[in-house]
Amino acid sequence: MKRLLIAIGAAGVLGVAMAALAVAAPSSGERADKAAAATKLPPLPAEVRARKRWLIGIKCDFPPFGYINRQNKNAGYDVDVARRFAELAFGRRNRVSFTCVTTPSRIPTQQQKRVDIIISTLTWTASREEVIDYSYPYFNATGRLLVPNTTSIQRLRDLDGKRIATTRGSIYDRYVRNCFKSASLVVTDSPVAALENLRQGRVDTFMFDDTFLLGIAANDRSLKMTAHKFLAVPYGIGIRKGEPAMKRWVNAALLQMKRRDEFWAILKRNSPRSFWNFFRTNVPRPKTKESYPRGRVPENECPS
Amino acid sequence: MTVLANFDWSYIWEHRDELRHGLRLTLEISAIGIAGAFAIGLILGAARAHRIPVISQLAAIYVELIRNTPILVQIFLLFFGLPRLSDHLKFEPFTYAWLAVMIWGGAFNTENFRAGFEAVPARYREAAFALGFTRIRTFLNITLPIGFRISLPSTINTYVSVMKNTALLTAVAIPELTNTALDLLSTDFRTWEMLFVLAATYLALVWALSGLIRLLERRLALPEST
Amino acid sequence: MLDRLPHWAEPVADYILHTGVKNTLIIAGTSVFLSLVVGVLLGTLLTIKFLPIRAAIRSYIEIWRGLPIIVTIFILFFGLPTLADELHIEALRLSEIKAAILGLSLWGSAQIAEATRGAVQSIPREQHEASAALGFGWVGRHVNVILPQALRRLLPPLVSLSVNVIQNSTLAQILGVPEILETAERSTERLSIPTVDPVTLEVEGGGDNHAFEIYGAVFVLFFLISFPLTRLAAFLERRLVV
Repeated sequence: MKRLLIAIGAAGVLGVAMAALAVAAPSSGERADKAAAATKLPPLPAEVRARKRWLIGIKCDFPPFGYINRQNKNAGYDVDVARRFAELAFGRRNRVSFTCVTTPSRIPTQQQKRVDIIISTLTWTASREEVIDYSYPYFNATGRLLVPNTTSIQRLRDLDGKRIATTRGSIYDRYVRNCFKSASLVVTDSPVAALENLRQGRVDTFMFDDTFLLGIAANDRSLKMTAHKFLAVPYGIGIRKGEPAMKRWVNAALLQMKRRDEFWAILKRNSPRSFWNFFRTNVPRPKTKESYPRGRVPENECPS
Repeated sequence: MTVLANFDWSYIWEHRDELRHGLRLTLEISAIGIAGAFAIGLILGAARAHRIPVISQLAAIYVELIRNTPILVQIFLLFFGLPRLSDHLKFEPFTYAWLAVMIWGGAFNTENFRAGFEAVPARYREAAFALGFTRIRTFLNITLPIGFRISLPSTINTYVSVMKNTALLTAVAIPELTNTALDLLSTDFRTWEMLFVLAATYLALVWALSGLIRLLERRLALPEST
Repeated sequence: MLDRLPHWAEPVADYILHTGVKNTLIIAGTSVFLSLVVGVLLGTLLTIKFLPIRAAIRSYIEIWRGLPIIVTIFILFFGLPTLADELHIEALRLSEIKAAILGLSLWGSAQIAEATRGAVQSIPREQHEASAALGFGWVGRHVNVILPQALRRLLPPLVSLSVNVIQNSTLAQILGVPEILETAERSTERLSIPTVDPVTLEVEGGGDNHAFEIYGAVFVLFFLISFPLTRLAAFLERRLVV
C-alpha cells in the first residue's frame, strides 16, 4: 500500500513535470509568437506578418536621428527604434528594410505603400494629421535658435525684421511665416545648407531642433544657442489612415519601450556622453507623459 | 475624375502673392543670367575665334570645366566653396544665384559664338582686308553682325536653358518659383494645383521666350548667300 | 592612394564611389537607353506626312523639352500617385529612382527625336527613290536603308546626350536618390554634428564638415567621367563630315 502511494505520487510529480516542460519548451517555429506573447503586444498587421519584415521610411541625411554611418549603414535614434520594432515583431533586428525619405517625399512615399510606417523626425502638426495618423510620441523635440556669439538677438521678439534659416516644410517654417511676418525666411532642404547660411552671415539665426543644434554649438565656438525654447512639439511615427491594427501594434510597442526605459538607452547609444544630460528631458521615460498639442496650433501661438 | 473635380483654384489664388514673388525672382535671376551669358559668350567667343593668346586658352579651360560638370554641382560648390576661400567673397544668396546660372550660360555661349564667328565665310573677311579694314573694324563690321546671326539658334537654346536652370536653385534655398511651389506642396499637400502652376508657368515662359527670339531671328535673317 | 586619405575621408570616398557611382550609372544608363529607343522611333515617325501623328509627336517634344527636367520629375513623383489612386494602377506609384529615370528619359527621348528627324531628313531623296524602285515599302525602306545611315549621323548627338544625361542624373539628388551628389550631401550632413560609432564608440563630426573638399571631389569626378565622352563626341562629329 505504501509503495502504491509513493508510485502514484511519483507518477503525479512526473506528470506535472512533463506537463510543465511541454508548456515551457516552445517549438522553434513559434518563437516569434512566443516572443510576442511574452511581450504582450497585439497581433502584427497582416501584411507585415506575411512579409516577415518591416518596411520603414527613415531619414538618411539627418543625424542623430537618421543618417548613414561610417560603415555605410543606416544609423540613428529613429533607426534604432525601427530595429527594435523588428526585434519585437520577429525576434531579429535585421527584419527591417529601410527606405530613405526626405521631408517632402516621406508622406507621399508612405501613401504609395512603399513603406509600412515612417519614423523620420515627423513633428506633429494638425494639417499633417488630416492626411496621416500619428503614433504615441517617441521624442520631444524643442525649437531653439542658433546664433553667432556676436548676435543682438536677446528675446524671441527680436526676430522681427531678421533673416531666419530653417528647413522646408518644418514646423519652424510655418511658425516664422505666422508669427514673424516681418522676418525674412530662408528655407533649405537640408539642415546643413541652413547652417552654411548662418556661418556665412546670410542669415541672422538658424531656427531648428535642439538635438541638431546642440551638436553644432558644442563644436563651433563662434555659435551658440539662445535660451529660448519654443514649439516643443513631439515627433511621432507616421501611420496610414484606416489601419487600426498597425496603429495598435505601434502604440503598444512604443509604450512598452517607454516602460522599460529603452528610449533613454537608444539616446545614449546615439549621442556623445557630454550631451546626455541635455537630452534627458527629450526622451519618453517610464514616469513622463507625452502628448500632442491637439486642439491647439502651436505654430500659430506667437509670442506676445 | 476626382482629381479634376477637387482642383482648388482658390488655393492658387490665396497664395498668388508668394507664387508671384517666386516668379519674379525666377525672371530676375534669368534676366541677369542671360545678359551676363551674352556678354561673356560674345567676348570669350570672339577671343577664341581669333585665337587671342592666353585669353583663348583660359577660356577653353573655363568652357571645358563648366560643360563637363553638372550645374547642380557647380551651384553647390559656389554656395559652399566661394565663401570659404575668402571673407570678401561672402555675397547675398541672390548674387550666388545669378552668378551660378551666368557662369554656366557663359560657357555654353562662348562655344556658340565661337562657332558662329568661325562660320562667317572667309571671303567676307578677305574682302574687308582688301578694302583696308583693320582687324578690329573687320570684326565689328563683318564678323560680329554675321556671326551673331549665325549663332542665334544655339544662343537662343542656351538662354532658354539658363531660364530653366533657375529651377535648380531650389536646392540652395533661393525662393524662386519651383522652391515656392515645392514649399507649399510640402506643407499643404495640394499637389496638382502646385504642379499645374509650375508646368503652366515654365511652358509659357519657355515658349514665349523661344517664340520671341525666333521672331527676332526671322527679322534678322541673313539673305541667302549667292 | 586611397590609404593616404584622412580619417574622415575614407568612408566618404567609399560611399560616393561605391553607392553613388553605381546609382548614377544605373540612372544614366537606363535613361540613355530608353531615350534612344523611344527617340529614334518618334523621330522617324515625325517624317511621315500624316499630320495628326506629326502634331502629337511635336507636342511631346515641345512639352518635355520645354519643362525643366526637375519639374517633370516632380510631376511624375508627386503627381502620378494621385492618379494611381484614381485609376487603381499600382504601376503609377513610381519610386524616386524610377521617377528620375522616367523624367530624364522623357527629356532625352525628345532630344533624340529631334536629332533623328534631322538625321533622317538629311538623307538624300535619291536613297528613298532608289530603295522604292527596288521594291521596299515605307517600313522596309526606313529599316534597311534610311535608318542605318541616319543612325550613323546620330552618333555624335547621342554621345553628347549621354554626357548631358550623366550631368542631369544629379537632379535625382533633390528627391534623395543616393547617386553621387546625394551620397556626398549625406556625408557632409553626417560630419556636421557629432555622431557615435556603435562599434568603436569613437565620436566623429561637428566642427568642419569638409563640404568644400567633398563637393570639390564630386566636381572633379564628374569632369573625369564626362570629359572623355565630350572629346569622343567631337571626334565622331569630325569623322562624320565626310
